[in-house]
Amino acid sequence: MQPLLKPFAMLGQGGVPFAAGIGRWGQLTADTVRAVRHVDVWLRLLLPQMARVGVDSVPIALFIALFTGIVLALQASYTFTGAIPLYFVGVLVGKTMMLELGPVLTGLALSGRVGANIAAEIGTMRVTEQIDALETLAYPPVAYLVVPRALAGIIMFPVVTALAIGMGIVAGWITAIQLLDMSSADFFNGLTLFFLPFDVTYAMIKATSFGFIVTSIGCFFGFHTKGGAEGVGDATTRAVVASSMAILVLNAFWAIVLL
Amino acid sequence: MGIIVRDLHKAFGPKVVLDGFSVEARDGETLVVLGGSGSGKSVMLKHLVGLLIPDAGEVEVDGQVVSTLKQEELFELRRKVGYVFQFAALFDSMTLAENVAMGLRRKSDLDEEGIADRVDECLRLVDLEGYGDRAPAELSGGQRKRAGIARAIATRPQYLLYDEPTTGLDPVTRAMIDQLILRMSEELGVTGIVITHDMDSAFRVADRFAMLHNGRCRFHGSPDEIRASEDPVVRGFIEGRPELLEMES
Repeated sequence: MQPLLKPFAMLGQGGVPFAAGIGRWGQLTADTVRAVRHVDVWLRLLLPQMARVGVDSVPIALFIALFTGIVLALQASYTFTGAIPLYFVGVLVGKTMMLELGPVLTGLALSGRVGANIAAEIGTMRVTEQIDALETLAYPPVAYLVVPRALAGIIMFPVVTALAIGMGIVAGWITAIQLLDMSSADFFNGLTLFFLPFDVTYAMIKATSFGFIVTSIGCFFGFHTKGGAEGVGDATTRAVVASSMAILVLNAFWAIVLL
Repeated sequence: MGIIVRDLHKAFGPKVVLDGFSVEARDGETLVVLGGSGSGKSVMLKHLVGLLIPDAGEVEVDGQVVSTLKQEELFELRRKVGYVFQFAALFDSMTLAENVAMGLRRKSDLDEEGIADRVDECLRLVDLEGYGDRAPAELSGGQRKRAGIARAIATRPQYLLYDEPTTGLDPVTRAMIDQLILRMSEELGVTGIVITHDMDSAFRVADRFAMLHNGRCRFHGSPDEIRASEDPVVRGFIEGRPELLEMES
């Protein structure tokens, strides 16, 4: 091959499987939408999945938000000193937690916890023929495995994100009144100064989309697992990497479209 | 109506697994399919319930061509078929009783009490009475295999497909499973296809034999006919004489 053509060949070698993967994920998403009609199959699985995806993820999301809120308040104070009134700490903590860090950090943390868990579980079911067994027992596997997980992600990611945003703001407030020369009134004055109800809508739209993307990508890599333990490990890693990247891309997409 | 496999072709990439395999299991009979490891027996079996789509040829089960069925029709067909997986494929997040009940919840009209009774009955049949609350991870290999059979027979299917049901089991458990297969056929009129390497077991349960070799049907006939076969591949396999198979190749 001519040296000049090599970069194009390399691009093609990487790009074609990537595009094929996107196509197969799109197919699984379409199958998932179609499988929602099998309510009798997925309904009783929804609550347990909501507990696994949402309730079990609350501690890690709150832990991350706690320290993020503390750091945000301190860094805002450090940046604003002498130039901007200190009550703007409340503006920055509130806006940043709601618009950006609350949804994105929660999404990234849950892509590791939830996405990896889903990919490993479904991947193990694939390589041990449990998914084939489901089919022979007349269960549509997408309705049984993907629909309850995707719905749990869509429902619970916004809930966990809202709790994380709340925790981040509370942490920022306590930091402001304990470590900075600020009163609660100053902090909450800043917090409400530029607050728009749309901020909440924006955060929830992002969290909902992250919930779907993390769970559906976890399911996708689980479904396409090949081989044995190595294949499951590989699927799990790919699920976490792909869903983290998808969160960042979606985050930029919503900023372009909605702001 | 039985199961008819016609000129089945299947390849995975460059590897041709089935190259025109044809066979028939008549209503109520038990057909044993023999073949070496990696010869494509499990691949063939998966085509019978639509887990794999043939590259060419067709499979007819209960008068329906499997590859042409829509999803809902395929689920309806699967309600009539029980499948015993080689490594049991039990759902490891559930107890044994929940595993056996899975098919009943989807394939039968039984209420919860009826399901519990049927689960107990099936576990008793495979000598796993009292194990309902155990997780699959707590069972031995033989127990897992028997649990897989209990799950497959729970819905009282018309057709039962066994993927190496006795491989790796002790002689007593093997004999017990053979009796179970015979009972399914004789008392319930179930049409069965059994894939096995275990010749003792094969001769105990078979009404007829087929042999899969190089992707095609090498032999199709009764137990007496296979015993009398002069084909070196068939003889080499049933007598465990690799030198005969080498002569052929």
